Amino acid sequence: MLGSFAVLRKQSLLGDAISHAALPGIAIAFLITGTKDSSVLQIGALISGLLGTFWIRGITTKTHLKSDTALGLILSLFFGFGMLLLTFIQKQPNANQAGLDKYLFGQAATLVESDVWLMAIVTGICLIILLLFWKEFKILLFDADYTKTLGFNTKFIDILITSFIVLAIVLGLQTVGVVLMSAMLLAPAAAARQWTNSLSFMVVLAAIFGAFAGVFGTAISASQTNLSTGPVIVIVAGVFVLFSFIFSPSRGLLFKQLRIIKNRRDLELHKTLAFMYHIAETHDNISHPHTIKILNNFQGYTTKTLKELEHKHYVTIQGNMWSLTEEGFKVASNLYNQQNAKDE
Amino acid sequence: MSSSQIEIQLIASIVAIACAIPGTFLVLRKMAMISDAISHSILPGIVIGFFITQDLNSPVLIILAALTGILTVVLVEYIQKTGLVKEDTAIGLVFPILFSIGVILIAKNANDVHLDVDAVLLGELAFAPFDRMIIGGTDIGPKSLVIIGSILVLTIILLIAFFKELKISTFDAGLAASLGFSPTVIHYGLMTVSSVTTVGAFDAVGAILVVALMIAPAATAYLLTTDLKRMLLLAIVFGVTGAISGYWLAHFLDASIAGSITTMLGVIFFLVYLFAPSKGVIAVIYRERQQRTEVSLLTFLLHLKNHQEEEERHVNHLNEHINWQKVRSKTVVELAQKNNMIVIDNGVVSLTEKGEEFTSLAIDYIITNEDAKIEYMKDDFFLFRG
Repeated sequence: MLGSFAVLRKQSLLGDAISHAALPGIAIAFLITGTKDSSVLQIGALISGLLGTFWIRGITTKTHLKSDTALGLILSLFFGFGMLLLTFIQKQPNANQAGLDKYLFGQAATLVESDVWLMAIVTGICLIILLLFWKEFKILLFDADYTKTLGFNTKFIDILITSFIVLAIVLGLQTVGVVLMSAMLLAPAAAARQWTNSLSFMVVLAAIFGAFAGVFGTAISASQTNLSTGPVIVIVAGVFVLFSFIFSPSRGLLFKQLRIIKNRRDLELHKTLAFMYHIAETHDNISHPHTIKILNNFQGYTTKTLKELEHKHYVTIQGNMWSLTEEGFKVASNLYNQQNAKDE
Repeated sequence: MSSSQIEIQLIASIVAIACAIPGTFLVLRKMAMISDAISHSILPGIVIGFFITQDLNSPVLIILAALTGILTVVLVEYIQKTGLVKEDTAIGLVFPILFSIGVILIAKNANDVHLDVDAVLLGELAFAPFDRMIIGGTDIGPKSLVIIGSILVLTIILLIAFFKELKISTFDAGLAASLGFSPTVIHYGLMTVSSVTTVGAFDAVGAILVVALMIAPAATAYLLTTDLKRMLLLAIVFGVTGAISGYWLAHFLDASIAGSITTMLGVIFFLVYLFAPSKGVIAVIYRERQQRTEVSLLTFLLHLKNHQEEEERHVNHLNEHINWQKVRSKTVVELAQKNNMIVIDNGVVSLTEKGEEFTSLAIDYIITNEDAKIEYMKDDFFLFRG
């Protein structure tokens, strides 16, 4: 759901960066409290995730480094630091440390009931905030400057969205793990984007895609042994994206290709008709028959186009001869006028 | 220091250099995230290579992994070209899917071999010296040292051979194309080198550290210089410094070497980020403030020049008229006085001769739309900057 905003804001890789940046937070939270209580660890992850996000923003606004460099930098540096802490923890004489690394790759099976409740509650809060600030989010997304002139506190809204993205990522970490979280954030939104141009519809659709990917992925991974949940969910989501890319009616590759072919055929039809028109023009009687052979020199002519022209009653064919009909002559003479009118 | 310690540091340093070179170009070409994508998506290549050869040390693995890396780049570009999603989304979609395929392949088929995800992602430098390369019965050094060393040599040869082409196509792809080098060839060449380096290095230091070693030194160097050669050199220096100091940090904390090298790189970057002379955060904030005060000063002087009446130029009146807070007007007035541009006589502010001259020149520049020249003018007139 929140992924929609990330995709539209061109911050897609933020998810990846945040999910890596959350690791040191988890490790530090564990070092300080010594417990493995998931809510404590998640608060740590949240803090370090936010820290990472704002540092990324600081780097891009204060220096001339580009956002991709900032993202890659924060991602790898935070993650490396997290690894350092994790290995450091492993050497500590504390029996409680096992299992921290499940955050790396995620294990939906380790979720207990309280975790699920927590997720449900946070999702609910996200939903409420989203509805409350819908207008602001939307306007900020598409026209930040306009929002500012309207007097909204853009910084606040911006931070709000970012915080919720971070929150969603941190919660998801436990399920699908660090590496795959970015796909969970992006894939449903990218798939949903292909089907609609409306933000509200896109958000709903993304949520549905995400949920389906989750359900299918879990089902597939449960049906087979040795198949971890996270990667399967991601692949299912990836299949959704691929499907959307190809089959979406307005933006999909398949229909785009079909449209291109159709346009080309139309153009050839028009070209042939125009060519015929120019020949017919030289005669007093427009219906004067001509041999089909003279069309052969013309590029773009095929028997198919001729048949189609006949089908549309623009020409009549008798044996080897064709002649333009009254209707065909009219259409052909208007062909360029129409185009001129359109250009103007 | 034992010989294995020296070897570890040597490996780390060579990896650092090998990564810093393509990394610099990636950062300059705004493609830093591609290295992250490559480092993840080589996993299926390695796994498939392992299935084919059943041997973790086979060079087929490296070739296949590099091929997957290039496949990632091609896929990302293809998706981007369809115009359906932006480049960053394309990257974010491609590599987790490839990575997932790799993870599933491992989980399904390779349970009994020591090919696990942790090792691929994190690597363990500490064991690198024990994996020796033996040719003809003689020990010629740790295997990863030999591999990454040869990659480094290859990279350096390519760098020197194509330095000019790389430079031009990085900064001006259009010019490069018009001069007759294909930017596409250079692009894929760079991508191939990045993939090969990633693959060669990940064995020793893990995928995440490869990303850190590629981006962090280059980004740090970019904050300090705008000269390509110097940037390459600085990136190498930072990479090696990070590698060696990171090793000792790990030694001291008894923690992961890859993790501590990354941490050291982070510390170096953070210091430079704060204190870099012209592009560091502190310098930028300082300059922003200076600019703001100087613009205020100019506004103030213009105001004085426009108003001959005494009541418009009274100190008390200025506060409300220009609508500045007290502190700021105080700074501005003090700065103007220090630069001998105004005199305050009985609470009334007036311009000195120098102030007049400065303001008239500034007006000229503003009217003729040559605002940039005001900066040079400031150098001539100011004794003290804001």
